Amino acid sequence: MSDFSRIMVFAKRLMRERLFSTRMYIMLPILLLFIPGMAWGFSDPNIVLPGGHQPESPMEVLFYASLGVVFGATMCAVLLSYDAVSRERASGVLELRLSQPMPRAHQALAMILGSWRAILIPTWILLLFSILIVRYRMGDWPSLVDGFVYFISTALILLWYVLFTLLASSYTREQGTAISFGVGLWFLFTFLWALVTTMIAYASGVSIGQENDATWVMLEGGLDLFSPNGVYHHLLETRLPQIDRGIAAWQTWAMALAWTVLPSWLFIRRMERILP
Amino acid sequence: MEEIVLRLEGATYRHSLYAPLPFKPWRRINGQGIFSANLCLHKGTVLGLVGPNGAGKTTLLRMMAGILPLQEGSVYDSRKDLNTMLSDADLRYLVGHMPEQVRWQGRKTVRNALLEIGEMRQVDQSRIDGLLKLVGLRSRIDAPLNELSQGMRQRLTLAAALLGSPNILLLDEPLNGLDPVAAAAFIVLLGKLTDKGVSIVISSHQVEGLVGIIDRLALMHRGQILAEGTMLEVAQQLNLDKKTEISGEGNAPDFSNYLSDTKLIEVEQSSVEWRAILNQSEPGLLQKLVGDGIEITSWAIRQPNVIEMLCAATGQSIEDVGLEVSSTAVMPLRTFRGEEE
Repeated sequence: MSDFSRIMVFAKRLMRERLFSTRMYIMLPILLLFIPGMAWGFSDPNIVLPGGHQPESPMEVLFYASLGVVFGATMCAVLLSYDAVSRERASGVLELRLSQPMPRAHQALAMILGSWRAILIPTWILLLFSILIVRYRMGDWPSLVDGFVYFISTALILLWYVLFTLLASSYTREQGTAISFGVGLWFLFTFLWALVTTMIAYASGVSIGQENDATWVMLEGGLDLFSPNGVYHHLLETRLPQIDRGIAAWQTWAMALAWTVLPSWLFIRRMERILP
Repeated sequence: MEEIVLRLEGATYRHSLYAPLPFKPWRRINGQGIFSANLCLHKGTVLGLVGPNGAGKTTLLRMMAGILPLQEGSVYDSRKDLNTMLSDADLRYLVGHMPEQVRWQGRKTVRNALLEIGEMRQVDQSRIDGLLKLVGLRSRIDAPLNELSQGMRQRLTLAAALLGSPNILLLDEPLNGLDPVAAAAFIVLLGKLTDKGVSIVISSHQVEGLVGIIDRLALMHRGQILAEGTMLEVAQQLNLDKKTEISGEGNAPDFSNYLSDTKLIEVEQSSVEWRAILNQSEPGLLQKLVGDGIEITSWAIRQPNVIEMLCAATGQSIEDVGLEVSSTAVMPLRTFRGEEE
């Protein structure tokens, strides 16, 4: 068995363990409500959003429905992975794993892949349902590229939250601390980032919340690159030409790459040095 | 003398401890660990690592298992006089490690738990089933981990340690949680493994339970190996000679009439009998005592026990060795690389 196959086999085992866990059964209704539920709501032909705006294209509906991913799927990613390392460490199983010949970096990669795929698979299935709902309600399909960007962006945001949580789980000996860290980060990026943006805008002398003020829009767009949720929305906005927040597509994809590589590297490095 | 399979030379590992200061919140200091350990593992023998809590037994086992990297020193593969230096990765191939009290939990079955570890060693299913049979878990193969007793969990951990058919097996407190029958079966299993040439290292703080199992002994205290060898060799290294235990009925005789130095003997007198321990051999003493009509009920040569050896090695009393709570402030017994630690 090659190293790659061994990583994939180990990742599959970890994925199955989480995919069929009790907590997944508990979270599945939440995901159902948030992801296809949002798609159903936003694809209503009579919907009028704040400001009198009406979604015009399937991709725009999917963009609004992505709130379900931001609110539901990312939280599920945190709840699925918070004990991936800390629990095994507390029980002694981690010590047993670390004494095996499989390199620690490979074990870390398998942990990332296993935890990520456990939340990715149900989310992608529900995204597919969302697209079918949009087609049913609006009578139109999103383009192939739109669909591709939607699926890849969602996969990336879930990966980032899994990585943050795994990192927290590897640094903490108590599972409570690990979950607090994961949920805390989720709160920061989901609810408190607007406050951070507002404070920086205030300190910079930019008028706050003025959607017609180019300086505010550009500042908000720039700061969003430092939040995984912001990068996710930037990625989706690359398929919405009517939205321009002064960030080029290459900048968004570069930040997405940074959000992927940096925490992955940190987690692998952490696992290479972790003590049982 | 059995072939040496693994040799540690100057193996050192110090735990890094978080010790923040107001202006250095990230500050870390070197804490306890293992100080320049030298140790040889012999083929097909059982080595007992003995020491009080906090002596460094688990740390040493983790170093030998390739889990903790050596900060100084080396480990050599001495099989067939190869004398090859081993990396942590090499050690993980060579060694099977049974950590202390793994708390297997979850809905996963026993077979799947072992398969998971087996896949990391690229072990096939038939080997896993065979091992579960060997450790007596065949009937629980499809049971969820949550339903296992502590003894069953210990057996499962042993099966995991045996997965790679290791030449060296490291067992950290393996008898914890085992009932007497399971412990006896476990000891028989260890015998079978050593017959196959597997070298076993057992760490335990339950020292007396080890005596019947081990071939060699390493005494540890405060991160150092104080003495190593067979029981007899260790006793000789520590100048602990065989003692003679004499007992008789009635009042104890006045031993000052028989011995040049009464400090050589310790006498305990009870209402009906007496007991004396002679700390060195005294030829002709028995003959003299019997000749004087003193009633001797028993006369036996007694080997020093492990606790006596540990006390002699550390120069401390049983209370000091047993009740000492190790802390980072505790200094090693010897200087380390010429510096007082």
